[in-house]
Amino acid sequence: MKPLQFINPSSIQEASQLVQPEDASAFLISGGTDLLDEIKEGVERPDKLINLIELEAMQGISFTSSGFEIGAGTTLSDIASHPDIVRDYTALLQAAESVATPQIRNVGTLGGNLCQRPRCWYYRSINFDCRKKGGSTCYAQVGENKFHAILGGSDCVIVHPSDMAVALISLNASITLTSASDSRNLAVEDFFTGPDVDITAENVLVPGEIVTSVTIPATTGNTKSIFLKAKERQGMDFASSSVAIAMEVSGGTITSVRVTLGGVAPIPWRAVAAESVLIGKSLTGVDLKEVGEAAVHRAKALEHNGYKVRLTAGLTRRAVDTLLSEWR
Amino acid sequence: MSGFNSNVTLNVNSTSHDIEIDHRWTLLHVLRDELGLTGAKRGCDRGECGACTVLVDGKPVCSCQMLAMQVGSREVTTVESLGDASHLNPIQQAFLDKDGGQCGFCTPGFLLSAKALLNSNPDPSETEIRSGLSGNLCRCNAYGRIIDSVKEAARLQAEA
Amino acid sequence: MTYSIVGKSVRRYDLPEKLSGSSKFTSDIQVPDMLHGKILRSPHSHARILSIDTSAAEVLPDVHAVLTPFNSPSGRVAPDLPILGTTVRYIGDEVAAVAADSEHAAEEALAALKVEYEVLPFVTDPREAIKSYAPAIHPEGNLIGGEPMVLSQGSIEEGFAEADIIVEESFTTPAHASAALEPRAAIASWEGDKLTVWKTSRGVHPDKMSLASALQVEPDNVRVIGATMGAGYGNKDETRLAAIVAALAQNAGRPVKIELTREEEFVAGRKRHSTETTIRVGVKNDGTVTAIHATTLMDTGAYLSSGPRVIRRAGQGAIYLYRCANVQYDGYLTYTNQPSAGSYRALGAPQGQFALESTMEKVADALGMDSLEFRKMNHVGLEGQPGERITPADDIIDTQPIEGGIPFSSNGLRQCLDLGSEAIGWATRHERNADQTGTMRRGVGMGMFIYRGGPGTATNAWMTLNEDGTLQVTAGTMDVGEGNSTAIPQMVAQELGVAYEKIRVLFGDSGVTPDAPITSGSTATFSTGQAALNATRELKSKILAAASDQLGVSADDLQIVDGVIGPKTGGASMTLAEVAAKTGQIRTEASLTPGSTDYIVNSFGAHFAEVEVDTVTGNVNVIHYVAAHDSGNIINPQLAINQVEGGVSQMLGFALIEQMITDPGSGATLNGSFLEHKGATIQEFPNIDVIFADVYDPVGPFGMKALGEPPNIGVAPAIINAIYDAIGVRIHDLPATPDKILDALDRKERGE
Repeated sequence: MKPLQFINPSSIQEASQLVQPEDASAFLISGGTDLLDEIKEGVERPDKLINLIELEAMQGISFTSSGFEIGAGTTLSDIASHPDIVRDYTALLQAAESVATPQIRNVGTLGGNLCQRPRCWYYRSINFDCRKKGGSTCYAQVGENKFHAILGGSDCVIVHPSDMAVALISLNASITLTSASDSRNLAVEDFFTGPDVDITAENVLVPGEIVTSVTIPATTGNTKSIFLKAKERQGMDFASSSVAIAMEVSGGTITSVRVTLGGVAPIPWRAVAAESVLIGKSLTGVDLKEVGEAAVHRAKALEHNGYKVRLTAGLTRRAVDTLLSEWR
Repeated sequence: MSGFNSNVTLNVNSTSHDIEIDHRWTLLHVLRDELGLTGAKRGCDRGECGACTVLVDGKPVCSCQMLAMQVGSREVTTVESLGDASHLNPIQQAFLDKDGGQCGFCTPGFLLSAKALLNSNPDPSETEIRSGLSGNLCRCNAYGRIIDSVKEAARLQAEA
Repeated sequence: MTYSIVGKSVRRYDLPEKLSGSSKFTSDIQVPDMLHGKILRSPHSHARILSIDTSAAEVLPDVHAVLTPFNSPSGRVAPDLPILGTTVRYIGDEVAAVAADSEHAAEEALAALKVEYEVLPFVTDPREAIKSYAPAIHPEGNLIGGEPMVLSQGSIEEGFAEADIIVEESFTTPAHASAALEPRAAIASWEGDKLTVWKTSRGVHPDKMSLASALQVEPDNVRVIGATMGAGYGNKDETRLAAIVAALAQNAGRPVKIELTREEEFVAGRKRHSTETTIRVGVKNDGTVTAIHATTLMDTGAYLSSGPRVIRRAGQGAIYLYRCANVQYDGYLTYTNQPSAGSYRALGAPQGQFALESTMEKVADALGMDSLEFRKMNHVGLEGQPGERITPADDIIDTQPIEGGIPFSSNGLRQCLDLGSEAIGWATRHERNADQTGTMRRGVGMGMFIYRGGPGTATNAWMTLNEDGTLQVTAGTMDVGEGNSTAIPQMVAQELGVAYEKIRVLFGDSGVTPDAPITSGSTATFSTGQAALNATRELKSKILAAASDQLGVSADDLQIVDGVIGPKTGGASMTLAEVAAKTGQIRTEASLTPGSTDYIVNSFGAHFAEVEVDTVTGNVNVIHYVAAHDSGNIINPQLAINQVEGGVSQMLGFALIEQMITDPGSGATLNGSFLEHKGATIQEFPNIDVIFADVYDPVGPFGMKALGEPPNIGVAPAIINAIYDAIGVRIHDLPATPDKILDALDRKERGE
C-alpha cells in the first residue's frame, strides 16, 4: 500500500471539493469494507481518503408521512434492526441481513453498498488488465464465468453485487447525490449504468458527487415485499441470483408490482416482462411458470453460467409464490 | 518512503493509548504490532474470516478492515479484556467446559462475537447463534462445540 | 476395559491459554531487532528468470536484504525445489524476497525489483501434461517416474472374465486448500553460525534436517522451534519459506519474519491433489466381487512435495476395502504448471474412496441389491484379503499392504455398518421419504472406508522425573492442533499412576526434544504414544526400584496410585517428590519403530448422510449425519469426537462447495480468498452423531488405532450418494455445487 493520507472533512461540501476531478487520486471512504480490499489488492491506489463517516448529515433514519430517508452513512446492521423497517419493508430487511457477515454489516454503510465495485475475479486481480480497468480484453467472456451475467452484458459481463440496490429498486426508492454546488435526486434504478454507457463505472456519479441519502416512499397497507438470495453456501457469499419483489394487492388483484433481479446483470435488472405478466392478475390467477419464464426471457448464457437461467426463473417463481401466500 | 502520520488517542480495553500512527495502519496492526495485544489474529486481512474480530463500541467488527484513523474516540475491546488463563470470565469458562476451541486461532474472535451476541440477546436460539457467529470461520470445524459453548455461556450468565 | 484416565475426556491443557488469547502463534512472536520480509511471486505459469535488477530496491533506506536465485544458497529444500530457482513453474512461484523495516517498506521494495523473464509454454491440464509433446516442467518429464505406479494382486483379466456384470465409472475431484486459519509464517535469527527458526511446523526434526541441507550448514547448528500452530490438517510441512527467511536473515545480519498473506497461503500453500479416477468392478450375479481395477490420474502441480505418498494412498481403498483376489491400481502422478499440491488430511484416500464408493452404488443397483447389504457381503473382514503373505515373518507389516494372507489386528467395520445404518434409519429411508412433492427432496447415502491404523516411522520419547517430583514427557512430535499433546500425557499418566494434570509436556523443539517424524498419517498418538509408554514403563520400574530400597518392600509388591508409591496391601508409602529427592533427576528414553509383525493395523469406518436438495436453487443441506468409526479404544472421547466432527465438516466443503479455480487462459488462481474458496461456515455445520465401535486393538497403545484422518474419507461418498437417492442424479465431478445440480436436473428432465 503506498502512503496515503486520511482526511476528515468538516462538511459534505468540503468532502466534495476534495474529490474534484483535478485530484483523481482522492477517494471517498465510508465504512471502507470494499474500498480497503481494493486498495490492499492494488486495484485502486489512492493518495487520499476522504472520510465521510463522521458527517452527521449522512447519518440516521428519519420517517416522514411520505416515506423515510436513510442517510448513506447508516450501517447495514442499523438498517436491519430498525423496527419500522423490520415491520413494514421486508425486502429491505432481508436484503440488509443477507449482506456478508455481522462484522461487515456493523461497519458497511448503505452508500458504500450501493457504490461497491464488482466482484469479478478478473477485475479484482492486478494480473488481468480487463476492459473495466481500461484494458482491451474481457477475460470472463472466454474464461471462468459461472458467476457472471446472463442479462445485459456486452463488452463486460460483470454482475452488480449490491443486494440493497435490488431491494430498493423494487421499493421504488430514490437516491440523492450531493456535490459542493448542487444536489440531484433520481430513482435508484437510474443511478446504475451498464457497460454500454461507461464500461469503467457502474453508476452515474461524477467526480465531486457524493451519495448522501436514499428515500423510500411509504408503502400502503396493501403492499408486501420479499427479497430472496441464492448463494453457493449459507455463509458469507454474493448472490448467484437474487430477486426482490414489492407487490400491492387490492380487492384480490395485483394492482402494482415491481420485480428486480440481482446477480444476473451489470446493473440491478428490472424484470419488466415478469411484471407485466403479474399486473392485474387475481391472487389465484397467477401462472408461476409464466412469471419465471418472463423474468429470464432475454437471458443469454455464457459457457458456464447457464444454470442461472433456471435458477433465476425458479427463484422468481418462489418469491412470487411466497408473497401471494401471505395474502391467501 | 514513510507514510502520513498522526498522533491519535485510542481507547482500548478502557485504557487510553497516545500513539503515532501511519494512516495506512489497520486497527489490527496497531493492536498486534504497536500495542502488543496479539489476541486478535490476522487470518486473511480482508474481513472474510473473523479471526481479527474485536468490539468497537460493543459491536463486532473485523479490525483488519478498519483503519486506525477511522476508530476515533470509540471504545475498542479485545480478548485480553475478558480474562487471563487462570481467571477466565463466564464466556471463556463456558468455552473451556464445552471444549469450544481446537487449534485456538479463531477462538479470540469467536469469544468476542459471542460476547456481543449475548449482550444483545441473552438467550439466543441455535439459529440465532449460527447467524450471529456467521462471520467467524473455524477451519478446524469445531462449530458444534462452539454452538454448545455459547449456549452454556448464556446459561452461566443467566445464573450469575 | 475401563481405565481411570485413558478413556476420559480430560481437559486439554492448552485451552485456557488459547481462550485468553495469550498463546503465541508464530505470527505473535517478536524477536528484538526483527525485520519484515515479503516474497516476490511469478506472474507467469512457466518462465526462466534471466536477470533481476535489485538496485532500485537495495537503495531504499529501510531495505536491508534482497534475496534472488542468483545470491541464495544453492542447497535444496526438496529434490526438485531449490531455495529460489531460475525457473518458475506456476503463477505464484517464489522469485525473490526482501527484508525491510516494515511490511509496507517490504512491499515497496518488491515493486522496485525488475525481473527479466523468458516466458515458456505451459500446461495446466493433467491429461495434456502426461502427453509426450507437453512442455516439460522438470527435466525428468512430467509423468513422475516416467510410468504409472501399478499395484496388483491376482489377475484382473481373469477376474473380469469371471464376472457376470461389469460396471465402470469415472469421477473427478478438485484441488482444494487446507486453508488453515493461520497462514504460514517463519522467523529466523542467526547468532554467529547458529540458526534458530520459529515456524509453523509439522515436525521440527525433519524441518531442521531439511533446512540444514538447504542452507548448507551443520544440522547441530540449526534449532527449529514449532510455535503453537493455527492448525495444519496434515499440511504446513516443507521448509521453503523458512529457508528463504533464514537466507534473508543471514544477508541482513538481523532476524527476519515473514507471514504469508491469505492469498499467498491459498496459492503457495499446498493443496489436496485433484484427481480423475476410473473404477471398474466385476461381480457375479450373486453379488461376489471378482475384480476391481482403479486408475487415478493425479495432478501434483509444479513441485512433487508428498505426491508419491498421495498417489499411493489413493489406491488403497480399491486394493483393500473389498474382499477380492483380483485387484489392480494404476496411479499416474503428473506435474503441471499449477500451484503445488501436498499433504492434506487423509492424502489421496478421500479422492480414491469417493470414486470407489460411488461406483459400488451403481454395482449394487445393477445387481438389484441394497448397497448396504452389498457392502456387508463384500467388505474385507478380520482375516484380511485372500492370498499369501510375502513380508518376511520378522518384518513389520505395512499399514498399506498389497499382499493377502495377513489378518488385521482388529476390524470393526461390520459394527460401523450396523450401528451407523441403524442410527441414520437406513432401513426406512425410502419409506419416510416416499411421495416427495414440492421443491425440496430428501435422500440418504453412505460410504465406508479403510485407512492406515497408526504405526508410522521410527520415533522417540523421553520421560523425566525431576528432582522436585514433577514429571515431563518430551517428544519431537508436533501437536498440530489435533490434541496428541493431551492424549499422549493421558496415556503416560494412566501407565504411571499419577493424575493427568501432573504431566508436563514438551513437544516440538528440535533443540531440546528427541527426533520424531512429522505428525502425519494419523501416526503421532499411536507411535509417539507407544514410545512414551515404553519410556514410562522404564521410568516406573526405576521409581519402584528406588522406592523398594527406601520402603524395604519388594518392587513387585509396590504400586503407584495418584503419585503415591506404596505396597499394594497398604503400609508406609512415599510420594514421587520424596523418591526424586533421593534419586535426583531420572530420565528414560525410548526409541521405537511402531507396528506389528503379525497383523495389519488399519482403521475403518462408515458414514451415512441424510440430505435435503433444494431443486430450485441446487443447494444441498445435510439434515442428519452419522459417522461410525473403528479406531480401537478411544483414549480421549471428547478429542476423538472433535476429530470426527471436524473432519466431517471440513469435507462437506470438498463434497459440496470448495475448490481451487484456475483461469484456463493463463493458469492464474482466481479464487485465493476465504470468500471465493468456499469452506463450510458455522451455518453449514450439520447435526452429526459420532459412534465408536467397541474394539480394543491388541497392537495399539491402550488398544487405540488412528483417528486423525479417517473422518475425512467417508464424507464425499455419503453426500453424493445421498443426493442421488434424493433426486436421481449422480454427480461425478466434485464439488457438487448448485450449478452442477441444476444442470444435472436439466439434463435429467430432458431425458439425457
